[in-house]
Amino acid sequence: MEAITTFISQTVVYATVYTLVTLGILIGGRAGIFIIFGEGILLTSASTGLIVASSTQNWFLGFLMGAFVGGAAGLAFIYLHETYKVNQFLLGIIFFILGAGLSDLIYKLVIGVTLTPPLAPPTPVVGGKILSEIPILSGFLNQSVVVYFMYAAILIAWWFYYGTKVGLETRAIGENPKVADVVGVNVTLRRYLVTIIGSILIGIAGSYLAIVVIKTYSSGMAGGRGFMAIGITIFASWKPQRALLGGLLFAAVEVLSFTLQIAAKNFPYQLALMLPFLAVLLIMMIFKKRIEFPASVGDPYSRE
Amino acid sequence: MAITPKAAVSARSGGARTLSRALPGIKVYGIALSVSFGVIAVISAALGYSVPEVLRTLVFSSFRSFAGLKSTIKICIPLLFTTYAFFIPAKMRFYNVGAWGQMLIGGAMAAVVALLLADWNLPPVVLIPLLLLTAILAGAALAWVAAYLKAQYDINPIVSTIMLNFVAIQSVSLICTARGFMDPTGGHPQTKLLPSNATLGFVAGIPYSILLAALTILLVSVLINRTRLGYEINAIGYNPVAAQSYGIDFRKTLMLSFCIGGALAGLGGGLEILNIHNRLLVGFGDISGLEFGALGILATLVVGENPMAVPVSCFLWSVLLVGADRLQRTMQVPVELVFLLQAMIVLLIVITRAKLSAKR
Repeated sequence: MEAITTFISQTVVYATVYTLVTLGILIGGRAGIFIIFGEGILLTSASTGLIVASSTQNWFLGFLMGAFVGGAAGLAFIYLHETYKVNQFLLGIIFFILGAGLSDLIYKLVIGVTLTPPLAPPTPVVGGKILSEIPILSGFLNQSVVVYFMYAAILIAWWFYYGTKVGLETRAIGENPKVADVVGVNVTLRRYLVTIIGSILIGIAGSYLAIVVIKTYSSGMAGGRGFMAIGITIFASWKPQRALLGGLLFAAVEVLSFTLQIAAKNFPYQLALMLPFLAVLLIMMIFKKRIEFPASVGDPYSRE
Repeated sequence: MAITPKAAVSARSGGARTLSRALPGIKVYGIALSVSFGVIAVISAALGYSVPEVLRTLVFSSFRSFAGLKSTIKICIPLLFTTYAFFIPAKMRFYNVGAWGQMLIGGAMAAVVALLLADWNLPPVVLIPLLLLTAILAGAALAWVAAYLKAQYDINPIVSTIMLNFVAIQSVSLICTARGFMDPTGGHPQTKLLPSNATLGFVAGIPYSILLAALTILLVSVLINRTRLGYEINAIGYNPVAAQSYGIDFRKTLMLSFCIGGALAGLGGGLEILNIHNRLLVGFGDISGLEFGALGILATLVVGENPMAVPVSCFLWSVLLVGADRLQRTMQVPVELVFLLQAMIVLLIVITRAKLSAKR
């Protein structure tokens, strides 16, 4: 029982990264913007977030920095896309490369090469004696406050897209921007807002990865999670309520691959490390044909 | 759209076209280069480096000595292969971000076959083509997976190729630490040295692989400009709906363009192993910490549509990379600053092109 609870607890820690990135991607995708550069935001907000958090010894400022970096990247992306109509995928690849370079550059300039890497301050944990002793459930509940932020973000996104008129209109942009425009929705403004909000969520995920999960920064630490989240988005059929399920599934695969790496000495650990990436491809193959996909995702929109 | 037919004309206009046609192209590159170098100058001044020194080292390191030129060529050859690997599918507006993985798997498979056949003592005339063919097939196979996933399951190749990159990275590490292949004396994960009949040499410090690179430039140019497949790739890039209604087989063209790109990246990886490293080692697809896949994407986006411009952009990129390496060693300026410069140049070129084509 103890082992299962630990496993769940670890899974939830990693699932928070996946779920927040997935949520960011699907919030943008519902209005037709494909945030394919999530990996770039993850890396940059991880390095900047960790630098701020460790130098001020304040976890909250670190998350603020990560959110700011994410929002700035989202704003730059959507400005270039909406103003110059540059292909989203091409622009996304450039932003990913920019983010990968920028994260290491900032870290090297501020921290330099040190023997003792800077450590993140601890983040508050929701716990207490009673909560941490419930078997199984404590794995979900006895967690950092950021995990609770993720739970809340899912509920809000679900309520917004499926419970409000504004959310319905925003989903309509993702299906057919022209129709949404005709009924009086400001397509450009909405696309700006969803991209920035989505990118902020990814930025928070990046800071969380550096500050809470790994507790320090290393080059390329996002390890493809920004791209794996695209697979989870497809698994989740672009629905916020399913994002957590997908996040938990992939986090479980990742935690299993770590466990396998330690437990089986003679088993080549590289095969275990390949597992999550192969799982993404497999899941996408299985779910791609039966999902609901926002029809206009990735397309630019202009009135003429 | 980033690369519209109009922008393509302006990019192609370097040579014989009239000045009025060449002007937008000059404007694009002029704006991008001056702004990017300006930003780099400001950043390096703010960080306390001497600006003229930084710029001089960055641009002229390749030309001050023969050694500089040699290392520029050594970087340029693998970069050329990964650039074409992105370039060819990108003409159809499909993005093969997996050139890095295809390169790694090509090099890894060539090394595996070379080590397995070590006892046979085959003559180099037989063995080396066999190894290069292995590299080509391995690269093409990895790219084929991504193309198949796109054609059959409509999975975005950007996502699938990146997933396959990670699989390739782990495969290289797996082979480097596998019993029988591993070099136990090396501190770094690497295989034993390949037998000497499996390796290529140098002439006057220039690797023999330059011959295959030259042949590749020629063949890709013929493929794009003179063959039916090249025509079909271009047609789908301009207008996929029209191309399909004129009877172009989208699926087949997609598969072929990805496989050719993957084959070239695999060949590039194989040549790196056989000619430069003479063994498989973890991280052989990087140059001072920057991977050839991303560099190839940036090198493609600079040139736009013309395959003959690819070698030029690869060479200029290599000049910057040699300068970056020198900067890091002499002035402790991080390599990533130059990587950022390259990404910025590309971003500005893409935006200016889009802006100019929107105006006309």
